[in-house]
Amino acid sequence: MTVRILLVDDHPIVRQGLRTLLEGRPGWQVVGEASDGIEALDKVDVLEPDVVVLDVTMPRMNGLEACRLIQQKGKTSLEVLFVTQHDSPQMMREALDAGARGYVVKSNAARDLLEAVEAVSQHRVFTALARSPHASLLRSDS
Amino acid sequence: MKLRILLADDHEIVRRGLCSLLQKREGWEVCGEASDGREAVEMAKQLKPDVVIVDIGMPYLNGLDTTRQLLQHDPNFKVIVLTITDSDQVIREALDAGARGFVLKSDAARDLVAAVEALQSKRMFFTPRVNDLVLAGFLEKGHAISRTEPPDLPTLTAREREVTQLLAEGKSSKEVAVLLNLSTKTVETHRSNIMRKLSLHSIRDLVVYAIKNNIIQIQMPPQLRTVSETTVV
Repeated sequence: MTVRILLVDDHPIVRQGLRTLLEGRPGWQVVGEASDGIEALDKVDVLEPDVVVLDVTMPRMNGLEACRLIQQKGKTSLEVLFVTQHDSPQMMREALDAGARGYVVKSNAARDLLEAVEAVSQHRVFTALARSPHASLLRSDS
Repeated sequence: MKLRILLADDHEIVRRGLCSLLQKREGWEVCGEASDGREAVEMAKQLKPDVVIVDIGMPYLNGLDTTRQLLQHDPNFKVIVLTITDSDQVIREALDAGARGFVLKSDAARDLVAAVEALQSKRMFFTPRVNDLVLAGFLEKGHAISRTEPPDLPTLTAREREVTQLLAEGKSSKEVAVLLNLSTKTVETHRSNIMRKLSLHSIRDLVVYAIKNNIIQIQMPPQLRTVSETTVV
């Protein structure tokens, strides 16, 4: 299955790491990168990705605000997946409330990201915190 | 002969990005990857890399203390510190610890290759923003870097700093003892000495001290960040 992915993170080195991981999956294509929420909004319109992989803490416009605005575009086929340093149930709840379909902690991204992108690209929910890997790993269908 | 580089960062995704960047250079090889400072020190002793790249905000042993331990073991180690912050205090501590390169994580894609090249040629490398800061310090205060808030770190021994970090990360004395291969009683003694030396009265005080002195780092969530930025402005 082809999945078009937009990467949004203010650190190029993180985007590079995410890209090498995601492009290892046949059929998945990183169609673009953005370094903040405002740039992400523009690229969502131009590039028409299936999944936006979004950081929370970014300059100019943070990921939560960007996610809310992406949802307002009404693109039903597009899903947002957060990849963030914030290993926090509260932040995860905020992300889901903002309309995201997935939430992965950066420290575990190498472990969780592929499964997460696969799930959200099929419009399923994927959330995984890192702080208590045995108790807090939550994966569920919407 | 290949230039051998050891990477230490707790985020595998960052290490992947760094590897991808560095291994594009012909003749460079990432000979090892460590996910915390303690592992980095052990790997460096075994692998004897030409350059060690350490993130500051790592669990168990932060990048500054990792740098100190590496250079204590072998003063010839060439260390580049990667950081998310370029505060005066962090820059000063990195220099004091003996780092020969200082690169902001946000600029790593642009600066890291140049930093490794500089160290390879027996030069130092500081990210341009750091150079600006050092120059501004000269112009404004008559010396390189502001020392208006000296760190409290020199009052603690290397072992006490390790214990401080682990306690501030939420580990119990017993867990610290296991990690450092010490008895619980020895850890309790370190803990008492730390609290006495620093005039701290609770673990909460210890956590605040650890954050203030860059022994551990925290990432502010967006809402808090917005409030603090508004306050500063």
